[in-house]
Amino acid sequence: MIDTPHRTPVGRVVATELKPATPHQFNFWTAVETAIGIGAIVKVEGGGAGDGERVVFGVVTDAVAYSDLQTPLHDVIGAEGDPSRAAESATVRQEIRLWTAAVLRQEPEEPLQPVPLAEVFVATDADVARALRMETYLHSALPTAIPVGLYTSGGLESPVYLDAEFLLGPEAAHLNISGVSGLATKTSAVEFLLSSIFQTFPAHRGKVAAVCFNVKGPDLCFLDRPGALDDEDRRRYQRLGLEAQPFERVRYFAPFKADGVNLNTLRTHPDLVHDVEPLVWGLAEVLDFAEVLLNRDDIDAKADAFIDFLADRVMGRKFDDGFGGEHEVRSFADLDRLFRAIFDGLEAAGGGRGDMWRTHHIATIRKVRNRLSNISTRCKGLVTDDGQPNDLPWGKFEDRTVYVVDLANVDPLGQDLVFARVVSKLREHLEKQSLGVGTVAVFVDELNKYAPADGPETYVKKMLLDISERGRYLGLVLFGAEQFRSQVHRRVVGNAGTQVFGRMDSDELATPGYQVLSPATKIKLATLPVGELMVRHPHFTQPIFVRFPRPAVLRGRDGIERFPPVPDLAFEDAIARQLVGLDRRVKPNQVKDLIADREEEDVRRALAETRRKRAEDPFAYFRKALGGRVRPQAPRERDGVPPLNPISDEPY
Amino acid sequence: MSGAWWDAVVQAGAVRASFVPPAAEGRAADPDREVSLADVVEGDELGIHAVTPRPAPRAVTFLDGIEQWKVVGYDGVTPLVRARVAVAARRRAGDRRLATLAEDSRDFAVVPLDQLSPSCRAALQASDADVVDLREAPAGQPGAALDLARRAVDTARAELEKAIGEECAAGLGPDEWLVVDGLLSVSTVLARHPRVLGVIKSHGAQFFEGRHLERALTLPAAHRTSVFRVRGGHARTEVYSWYLRLWPWEGNDLLYGLVRVEAAPGAGALAGADAVSGWLARERAPLSTPDARFDRLLYPIHDVEQYLRARAPRDFFPGARTRLPRTGT
Repeated sequence: MIDTPHRTPVGRVVATELKPATPHQFNFWTAVETAIGIGAIVKVEGGGAGDGERVVFGVVTDAVAYSDLQTPLHDVIGAEGDPSRAAESATVRQEIRLWTAAVLRQEPEEPLQPVPLAEVFVATDADVARALRMETYLHSALPTAIPVGLYTSGGLESPVYLDAEFLLGPEAAHLNISGVSGLATKTSAVEFLLSSIFQTFPAHRGKVAAVCFNVKGPDLCFLDRPGALDDEDRRRYQRLGLEAQPFERVRYFAPFKADGVNLNTLRTHPDLVHDVEPLVWGLAEVLDFAEVLLNRDDIDAKADAFIDFLADRVMGRKFDDGFGGEHEVRSFADLDRLFRAIFDGLEAAGGGRGDMWRTHHIATIRKVRNRLSNISTRCKGLVTDDGQPNDLPWGKFEDRTVYVVDLANVDPLGQDLVFARVVSKLREHLEKQSLGVGTVAVFVDELNKYAPADGPETYVKKMLLDISERGRYLGLVLFGAEQFRSQVHRRVVGNAGTQVFGRMDSDELATPGYQVLSPATKIKLATLPVGELMVRHPHFTQPIFVRFPRPAVLRGRDGIERFPPVPDLAFEDAIARQLVGLDRRVKPNQVKDLIADREEEDVRRALAETRRKRAEDPFAYFRKALGGRVRPQAPRERDGVPPLNPISDEPY
Repeated sequence: MSGAWWDAVVQAGAVRASFVPPAAEGRAADPDREVSLADVVEGDELGIHAVTPRPAPRAVTFLDGIEQWKVVGYDGVTPLVRARVAVAARRRAGDRRLATLAEDSRDFAVVPLDQLSPSCRAALQASDADVVDLREAPAGQPGAALDLARRAVDTARAELEKAIGEECAAGLGPDEWLVVDGLLSVSTVLARHPRVLGVIKSHGAQFFEGRHLERALTLPAAHRTSVFRVRGGHARTEVYSWYLRLWPWEGNDLLYGLVRVEAAPGAGALAGADAVSGWLARERAPLSTPDARFDRLLYPIHDVEQYLRARAPRDFFPGARTRLPRTGT
C-alpha cells in the first residue's frame, strides 16, 4: 500500500551540458542502496527557480553506475593484480547510481518545459494514477477502468488500470501480447485479463463475452475449474479489487474425431465432458467460407464464381442438372451426387461443349469438388457429410461468458475454416446487433502462424486484418498472442491499442520494432519473471511494468493431471455418454440396446437431431429420430444365365 | 551572488576583477625547508622495520580541509581577495563507506583595510563581511599582498581544521580513530590523544641528516622507520613520528609513496607503530587518482577533499571563460 505520500526524496535531478534535462527525459541520482529500479515511476517536485509549481512524473528507463576510478588499471594497481585483495580495501570507492527517466506526464502540461532540477520521490498510488493519466477513467462519473496488474517498485505497489474504451473499443481496441513460449505467461495474462474484464466491465457499456480458440494442448480446457493460488496471489487479487475465482460461465465446443462420436478435445474426463458441445458443420456452413479451403494457386475468379453459383442457385433448393436429373443439395453427400451427375452428363454428351457446364469449365468444377470433398475428409469430425450441424449459439451469446472452441487437434485446414467462419459470424451478428452481447473479445494464439508478416495472403490473415482495422467499431476485439511480434503482420500489431510483453527472446528484442526501448528495458524484458508484464496503452506515454496474479483457473497441465482424458469410447458407449450428457436420467444400457445393429450414420444423425432439438426428453426424441428398425431382407435369388457359347476345347 | 561585499566595493569605486592566482589552486606546500630536531625513541638509531598490512580499525574518521581564494577586485593596485576555507570530518564504519560526521566553512574577505580608499573601506565595512585585515601588507605592492593573503587563508584553514579536529577527537568512541591530513602537532588536544594520527604528505621539514636521512628517504615499500620524537621547528607540541613507505620509490622519486605519521608521544605510539603502519599500508588502495599526489594521499582523505570541493561555491573555480579582452572594451 502506498496511499500515504512518501515525502522523503529518493533522488535528485541533475543536468549537465552533456546530459541535460529535457521535456521528455531527465537524469537523477540516488543513494547506492535504493528501491528504485528499471520501470519505477517517480515524481519530480519542488523544483528550482520558477519551477515550484511544476510536477513531473517519469518512468525509469535506464541506469548507470560508476565510481571515481579513473581507469580500470588503477584498480589493478591498488589490488596489486590480485582481485581478492581488491575486496579487502579499507574504503569503498565513491560511486553513483545515475538513473535516466522518460517523462510520463508534466503538470501543468503547457508550456512544456525541461524537467526542473528538483527532488525525486517514489510515486504513490495517486501519483501512479496521475502519471498514467488514469484518473480520467478511474474516477470519472462513468468509470471504465479495467485492472491489469500491480505496478511494483521496491516493495511498494499500486494498481494499474486499462481504459475499457481503449481496450474494447470504440476509441481504440485490441490487445496484442508477445512472449517466449513455455512460460505460460501469454495464456495466463489473457485469462487474468478476461477475468478482470468480466468482473469490472462497466454495466453502462453493455454486455461482453469472449471467444477463445484453443489451438494447442489443454491451455483453455479448464477455465471453469479453480486453480491453485498462494497467499500472495490472493493478496494481489484483493489489491486489485478482484475476486479470485474461475470463470462462472464457460461453454466448450469441440468437433468430433473421425469416428463422429468421440469429441476431439482433451476435456474428455467423465466429470467434465458433459458440458463440451460438439461443433459440427454441414455443407451450408462450409460453403460460405469455401474460399478458406482454396490455396494460393486456386484463387481465381472461375472457382469463386462456381462456388458462388453453388451457394446461390443450388444449395437448399430444387435444381435441375440439365441432364434430366433433379437435385436438392443440403449435404456433402447431395452435392457429390450432383457433381457425379454433371460429370456423367458431360461425358455422355461428348463432343461439342462437353467440357462446359452452365458456363463453368469441367476443370473448375473438378477443382471445387476436390477441395470440398477434401475438407469433409480431412476434417471428418468437424464437417458432417450428411447430418445435422451443431454450432455456437449465434444470437444467444450471454453476458460475461467465455466460449472456448477447442481446435487443438484439428487439421490446420479445419482450424482455418473454423476461425474464418466463427469470426465472420461474430462480425455479421455484431453488425446486426443480434449476437446477444455488444462486445466480444476473440482470443487467438499463434499469430505468427495465422497472421505472419510475410507469406501468402490467406483468408484467415485477411480476416485478422479486417478485425484489427474495423473490429472496434463493431465491438469485435482481437486479443492476439504470439512469440515473435516482429514476425506478425504489422497492421495486426499496429492496430492493437494495448500491447503487452512478457519475457522476450534476445534475438527478437534486437529487431527494429524494439528500438524505442532502452537497453536496460530490453534486459528487463529478456529476464522478466513469470507473472510480470510490460504494458503499453494509449493513456500511458511510456511502457509500464506490472505484475498480475496467477489466473484463478486450473492450468492446462494441472487440469490434465487432475482430470485425465479418457481413451476413445466404443461407438455405443460414446453415444450413450452423449445422451447421458443431455439428460442424466438416460440409462446407458437402454441406449446401447436401442442402437444395437443400427447403422452408425443413422445413429449419428438421430443424435445430432436430438441435440439440435433440445427436447425435454432427449431419449424419447432420440428413439423417435432414429425411427423403427427395418428388418434386412434376404436378397432374392436370381436365376442363372447360361453362357452364350459353350466352352469347348477348341483353341480357336 | 547578488548583494555580496565585492559588489558593494565595486559600486564604491573599485574595479571588478576575476583572477585566481596559481598559488590559490590548492594548499601551499610546506615552506619550511629547515632541519628540525628529532630523537630516535625506538632503538638506538633510526632503523627500518617491515610492515605487514593489517585490517583497519572498526571506525575511523578522516579530517581534511580545503582553501579557495581569488581576486575579485582592485582598489587602485590594492587587491581585494575573496576567500573560503572548509573542513570536513568523514567517518568510515562497518560498511566501509564514508559519511560526513562534521563540517564547517568560512567565507571571508582578505584585504589591507588601511590601504583601501575611504569609500571602498566604508562599503566593505557596511556589508557585514567577515574581513581578515592584511595589516602587514606593504602599500602599493600587490604581489606581496597576495602572498600575505595566501598565508592568511592558510591560517584560517588550519584554525578551522584544528577546531573540527578537536571536536571530533572529543567525540571518539573507545575503539575509534581520527586521522588528520597534516601536522598533528598544531593542536595540543590532537597531539595528546592516543587514537589520533597525523599523516603528512609533504616533507619540507627534515628531521635527520646523513645516514639516518638516507635510511628515511630510501625506505623500501611496506617498511617504516623507527619511531622518533619530534620537537622544535614548526612543531609546537611534541609528538612521536615515523616514516612509512606506501609504494616503491625506485624509478620515481625519493619522496614517492613516502608519508610521515604523527602520533601522541608515549609507549602507546611505540607499541602501536607496527599495527598503525600495517593499517595505513592497507589504505593505499583504492588509489586516490586522479590526484597527482595519489602515491601519498590516502583515499579517505582524497574523499574528504572531493566532498568539500563538491560543496564549494562554483564561482570559486577557474571557469572555462577566456581571459582574452572582451570585445567592445
